[in-house]
Amino acid sequence: MRILRFFITRIFLKRWILVLGMVLLLFLANYLSFTAARSIISTFQGNEQIETLNQEGTFIANLDPDSKTEDETINVEKTRKLYAYLDKKYTYALQVHGFVTSLENEHEMEVTFSYINEEAYKLNQLGLSQGNHLTFNYHLNQDQIPVLVGAGLAGTYPIGSTIEIKDPVTQQVVNLDVQGVLEKNTYRSNFYAPNSKNYYNFAMILPVNEEFVQSAGLDLHVNGLMDIALLDSTDEEARNFKKQIQENLGMEFNLFTQQENVKYFEDYYVYSLKIICTITLLLLIVIICLATWNTLKSIRLMIKDFTINLAVGLSYSKLRAIFYGYFGLLISINLALLFAITAFNRYGFWLRKENMLATYGIFGLISMDWLALLIVLFIDLMIGFTIVELTIKKIKRIPISVGVLN
Amino acid sequence: MTSIIKLEMEKKTFKKKGFSILQDFELEVEPGERLSIIGESGVGKTSLLNIMGLLDTHYQGNYKLFDSSVKDLSQNKLAEWRNRKIGFVLQESALIHSLTIEENIKLPLLYANFEKDPAAQDHFKRIITRIGIESILKKKPLECSGGQRSRAVFARAVIMNPQIILADEPTASLDSKNKEIIINLLFDMNKEFNTTIITVTHDLDVANRHERIITLERNE
Repeated sequence: MRILRFFITRIFLKRWILVLGMVLLLFLANYLSFTAARSIISTFQGNEQIETLNQEGTFIANLDPDSKTEDETINVEKTRKLYAYLDKKYTYALQVHGFVTSLENEHEMEVTFSYINEEAYKLNQLGLSQGNHLTFNYHLNQDQIPVLVGAGLAGTYPIGSTIEIKDPVTQQVVNLDVQGVLEKNTYRSNFYAPNSKNYYNFAMILPVNEEFVQSAGLDLHVNGLMDIALLDSTDEEARNFKKQIQENLGMEFNLFTQQENVKYFEDYYVYSLKIICTITLLLLIVIICLATWNTLKSIRLMIKDFTINLAVGLSYSKLRAIFYGYFGLLISINLALLFAITAFNRYGFWLRKENMLATYGIFGLISMDWLALLIVLFIDLMIGFTIVELTIKKIKRIPISVGVLN
Repeated sequence: MTSIIKLEMEKKTFKKKGFSILQDFELEVEPGERLSIIGESGVGKTSLLNIMGLLDTHYQGNYKLFDSSVKDLSQNKLAEWRNRKIGFVLQESALIHSLTIEENIKLPLLYANFEKDPAAQDHFKRIITRIGIESILKKKPLECSGGQRSRAVFARAVIMNPQIILADEPTASLDSKNKEIIINLLFDMNKEFNTTIITVTHDLDVANRHERIITLERNE
């Protein structure tokens, strides 16, 4: 340790520009690997969620890019009629997230209402930390509506508590009864951008039944159609539904089959993941080459110092240990820096009261962050190993001679 | 008396440069002996010093140091012997410029883990007092004169009280006064501690003050 300290403070840091260069190169490699790793993990998580919809007979609705998004003639009567048709003829999964509501809570966050029907609920399999799962057989104006709350609301609204509130989609005063608490950091991935997700820590999950849908307004109806999934259906049924939407609302929807969905996800996301991995790998190779060059350049500049040290008792094994210690320190500094940036970013969501992004963990860091940091650590160890072994090989190739000191 | 150094060189080859030196050369050195090695440039004087100082083990031949075959010693053992048994007295430029004179002198103590050892500290004080460099300990090498730097290099070589001192042109670039100081310091070590002194030099005046002179000649 004393020898390592001596080398770092008295030999390496005396050429601080080379040390700084190495820190910057390592940081670049770390940040790149971290971003790529997190994006891949997040996409993988998103794909896992979407995978539940990739079943035979499932058709996911998707607004055609060429369709006009809103027709002036659309009204709630038309959408109710469409949903009545859906209820009569189809089994479908409906989930609409993002109705932000002001609801008092200890964290002073806004609360997002998320509406889900029974089929979507079965597919999503939301994990609970406490309480019971949702039931869907209530009567809107008579019964309390059983709800699930996100982990961030459990303190203010524990199981058994009731909330009277004007529901944002029905515009009716409803009584909500807290049935269960979602696991921390429960999320929902965007179907069409699996690496993007909303967290349910400040969400309230409301069960939607036929009666509720019919009482809801245009927002829930139209937004619901954007991601609606027909289950146990045939091609003909899907085509009929598409036709119904067009006739009723004048909007053009695509209903992708399971095969089309799988192909789309594989083509688009696997391809984009491959691109991310390739670019990251290429940049990593360039960075490693630069870092190695930087180290070898340092060795050339410090050869006299190394020779003196070797002449007075430094061994190659000690020198190897010194280099590993030195790179260990650089890696630790970079990982700490990466942790600080991530923590700043995650904790910033809490400070800025971004309720759909606030997460639980040390400074808000979640499992994907830790996993990405672990991957970065592994990559750093590989980089460190490569550079140290190349450096020692290089030093050993240089004949140590008192001649270089004269 | 048993030889402290027993070297039977077959040759030292520089593959890249495509030539060999020190061919069929034998050397035995006894404890406490003062030996000088002379010869024209490129004949292999410094290479011989590197081999005897355990810095170079890539040669053909046998080298026994303290009755142990050097080729059988591990890299760690070689480093330990360089640290404890051998001292290198080099030219005044052989100091690390980023370190103070004190740090340069104490470098071998760091590798021996004697940095905080009270006996080593006392020894350090005795040496610097004797050499007369107390006033420059906190200075960097480039802030000192050539003579002061030479004395610092000498102090570093003897800080571990080695059994062998290998000196490579120790008086080159020194004026006559400083040359005398360094030679006297070397010979004082020899007298007091029976330290073996092996000096490579171009200076015949310096060489003549040793007990034995070896002249290396170029291979035909």
